[in-house]
Amino acid sequence: MAANPMYQFNVYRIGPEIKIGEIDLSFTNASLFMVISSLAILIIFNLGAQKKNIIPDKIQLLSELSYTFVSKMISDTAGTKAKPYFSFIFSLFMFVLFCNMFGMIPYSFTVTSHIIVTFVLAAFIFIGVTIIGFIKHGFGYLKLFVPSGVPAVLLPLIVVIEIISYLSRPISLSVRLFANMMAGHTMMKVFGGFVVSLGIVGGWLPLSFSVALTGLEILVAFLQAYVFAILTCIYLNDALNLHH
Amino acid sequence: MGKEQLKDRLKNARKKLKIEKENPQTSNFGQAFKLSTELVAAVLVGTIIGFILDNWFDTKPWLIIIFFFVGVVAGILNVIRSAKKLQN
Repeated sequence: MAANPMYQFNVYRIGPEIKIGEIDLSFTNASLFMVISSLAILIIFNLGAQKKNIIPDKIQLLSELSYTFVSKMISDTAGTKAKPYFSFIFSLFMFVLFCNMFGMIPYSFTVTSHIIVTFVLAAFIFIGVTIIGFIKHGFGYLKLFVPSGVPAVLLPLIVVIEIISYLSRPISLSVRLFANMMAGHTMMKVFGGFVVSLGIVGGWLPLSFSVALTGLEILVAFLQAYVFAILTCIYLNDALNLHH
Repeated sequence: MGKEQLKDRLKNARKKLKIEKENPQTSNFGQAFKLSTELVAAVLVGTIIGFILDNWFDTKPWLIIIFFFVGVVAGILNVIRSAKKLQN
């Protein structure tokens, strides 16, 4: 393995090259880890949903706890109107969480440390929320850009500012997840490199740092999935309830 | 264990639960993470819009300068808004 701390983010092809026109559709290590996380989610939650014991076993408890966790998060931030979107937010939260957590396994690949992955997720949410807003409120949704009680002179400037603020949502959503994951994993690799280069004499200090960082990174992995989901709820709340 | 002792322990446990409910640790920590990118993203979007409009109207470099500052304003507005949400 190369000592370069950025080497872990390399995307390489697995299996044959598939090309449709100019677009490269080959199966890569990134796709492999997305498939692994999705399969893990499917298997765990199917197993958890099958048994309906009154006293749950571990897997049933896990799935029931995560169900109530997400359900409570949605009703707290977006209200009861957001109930129909539960399945989407639940899948989103679980996908990001599992991608982050699988990235914590040594020698694995962190899908969410690539900005294109997080940006596609965020752009999907952004477009979806905008469409929902227009369906629910028609052109009245544009009132989101015109706050009440603003003098007419300032209105053009305020509208431009509001539009920029609205457009910055998918950027901040995706950059936050990507930057946290990439910075954390790079830092872990750098400290790991210190352990090797300082050897048995001086390597103990960076090793202890590495252990602490691993704990912190697991916390960040969970937290970023949580923040991603809760911001989706907040945006959904803006679209459904329309008040600023 | 006496009845009074049990009552006391129950009371303490309920109090603890209430405190935890009122101050959810993970939620606060998550929202603190949120603030940092909010500002940067709006500045970025403002600058990109300015750059695109400059290319359209051939007004280099005026629109990019104006929209950069509008982006800064939007970013500060974003931060204030999320800080207000944090307070509630």
